[in-house]
Amino acid sequence: MRGRLAALTLVAALAGGLLLLTGFLVAPPKGREVEVPLTVQRFAFSPARISVEAGDRVTFRIRSLDITHGFSVEGRGIDATVLPGREVRVTVPAEHPGKIRYRCSVICGPLHPFMVGEIVVQPNRWPLWGGGLALVVGFLASTGVTRSAARRDLLSWRPLHWLLTRRPFQFALIAPNLLAFTLIVLAGLVGTTTGAMNFSTIFVWLTWWGLLVLLLIPLGGRVWCAMCPIPGPGEWLARGAIVDRARRTLGLGWAWPKQLQNLWPAFGGLLVLVLFGLIVTTRPLVTALLLLGLALVALVTHLVFERRVFCRYLCPVGGLLGVYSMAAPLELRARDLEVCRQCRGKACFRGGEGYPCPTFQFPGGGMARNTYCLLCTECLKACPYDNLAVSLRPFGADLLVGRGRRADEAWIALLLLGTALAHSVIKLGPWGWIKSWANFDGTVEFLLYAALFFGVVLVALPALSLLTAWLSRAVAGSARVGLGRLFVDYAYALIPLSLAAWMAFTLAVVLPNLSYIPRVLSDPLGWGWDLFGTREVAWAWVPLGVLPWAQLALLLVGLWGSVRTARPIVTEALGEGRAARRGLVPLTGLLVVIAWAFLALYLG
Amino acid sequence: MTTVKRVERIAVAVVLAILVGVPGLVFSYQALRARNGQRGEILVVARTVERGGWRPARIVVRRGQTVKLRILAEDVTHGFQLLHFGVNAGAIKTGTTRVVEFTPDRVGDFPFYCSVRCSPLHMALMGTLVVE
Repeated sequence: MRGRLAALTLVAALAGGLLLLTGFLVAPPKGREVEVPLTVQRFAFSPARISVEAGDRVTFRIRSLDITHGFSVEGRGIDATVLPGREVRVTVPAEHPGKIRYRCSVICGPLHPFMVGEIVVQPNRWPLWGGGLALVVGFLASTGVTRSAARRDLLSWRPLHWLLTRRPFQFALIAPNLLAFTLIVLAGLVGTTTGAMNFSTIFVWLTWWGLLVLLLIPLGGRVWCAMCPIPGPGEWLARGAIVDRARRTLGLGWAWPKQLQNLWPAFGGLLVLVLFGLIVTTRPLVTALLLLGLALVALVTHLVFERRVFCRYLCPVGGLLGVYSMAAPLELRARDLEVCRQCRGKACFRGGEGYPCPTFQFPGGGMARNTYCLLCTECLKACPYDNLAVSLRPFGADLLVGRGRRADEAWIALLLLGTALAHSVIKLGPWGWIKSWANFDGTVEFLLYAALFFGVVLVALPALSLLTAWLSRAVAGSARVGLGRLFVDYAYALIPLSLAAWMAFTLAVVLPNLSYIPRVLSDPLGWGWDLFGTREVAWAWVPLGVLPWAQLALLLVGLWGSVRTARPIVTEALGEGRAARRGLVPLTGLLVVIAWAFLALYLG
Repeated sequence: MTTVKRVERIAVAVVLAILVGVPGLVFSYQALRARNGQRGEILVVARTVERGGWRPARIVVRRGQTVKLRILAEDVTHGFQLLHFGVNAGAIKTGTTRVVEFTPDRVGDFPFYCSVRCSPLHMALMGTLVVE
């Protein structure tokens, strides 16, 4: 019965896709000539969104109300400059149903990279079809298929084992990043204030963020922490050594206050960071001060407190990485727990040939999840029994580990999901008013924006999540399970989908803006240099036609991962069989709705 | 033991080289560019009045000698117009530069303007060319 239903829905969804494809294959009917007066003004087009029929030819009569802008259609090679006081006519043929995005192509101020507009070509069945597909994916993922628990120890490859146990290894990773960090801070402090032309903003929020979200987190979890230069100076000073294993520490080595031994400080930092996200990511000076500030806090805390308190409790990016690293297919664990039990020295935790674990983890017992492991490889160097493994494993393995789930982690997971949605609306959406509110154009406006942001991220989404937990408990008939515990547990099921959403968002931010990277490499401070002759490379449009497909694929894979994670979580909380099947329905429903919300935003 | 000490010393040297070397290189390269003047070229940075206007706002040249100005639009799209010598660079898009060349045949102070609306104070974006 269930198998047949799955097959039927799959057929229906594929038929929907076929319908969508016919839109591309059929020669467009001869449509109307549509003329649209379009005014541009920092940082929005007006009207920002128009709707036409497939086959129409849209001619924009573009007029600038303030300064010089550009008009460039993504993936089409159409580009025009709009000088103030002169009307420009640009014709965009709308052949196929779907969405055509255009953007400003002449740097016009801080928010220039996010100045976009949309032409929706009807009948746009993308969201409908994508939603149907999401429903099927959610349904299929919820039917039980056993997952493998296989691990593959990478250290059995001896050269890697040799490399990771060298003392200078971590420093060799940090040094190039320290170089970039120094240039970023310098460029932000003394370079041009135009974000798109400054090494600091481009390298932090385009290169680093792009690599982090699209590559490092999904494949390596917290591997960035192993090469992050920010805690470096503080740690070196506190240890009195950069590479050596020093026996005496120069830091005061105080214990971190008990009340703050959690991720709430990181949660707070992250909340402030994402609230001011639009300002931070577009201002070189703010970017530089942020990085410098983090490095200073790290310096002070490492000199005063023991080990790497900053990375463990304070770093906002660490909070983000910690939550997402649970989904990564890479882990560092003890190989044989029996060896650890017999071990008297516990060198990985207390220190030995290597430093003690900087984040107070004990691989031999307590560490069952990636969340707080920085992959710094000190325990590899410390363990006298060579009892540690760095292994490949199935995606999302830690999300199923019940022990150690905490409210602070759950709230970070919720915050990250809400922020992915909010930043997609602010940065990728065509709505100029919210951009200007978030840009601190006025105090009242910013307060309104803050209220809206907090309302969505801290109230609406958690409330929805709580409602899901309550519904799930009610339909499963397990009234005795604590609602708070269920709320925390269910948040972990959101993690794969929210990571996928960040990847879809990041793809849409990074791909159209790639040409800034060779530009700022050639002229990092915006001082008119031309080190590599690439300071004025024209817009090289990557095939942006694939972008909606890639976003759809990412979101569906994320949804699949989330529902697959949800099943064991629900089973563990509510019990086997009927209760689990029923309890899973509201959670799957929530996940499908969230996935669809992203799809509607990106494709609708 | 000695190799350990050597590695440690190299690491310290690398860190210091980065922290001191990066700013050092950046500023000395900039100073070098300013001194050589790129073969007689003068770099003129255009910014909106709100952000400080022309830099330099006063350019001193000699009569009868060919002047080469490289104009960099730093924040938004600007223009460069020096009507007394018939110079008009047109629109210079943000982040790009354009070179204008002319030979002043008169002595005096001549105003130059931005020719592309760049801010509400666009009309006030003015500098002076002094011909001696």
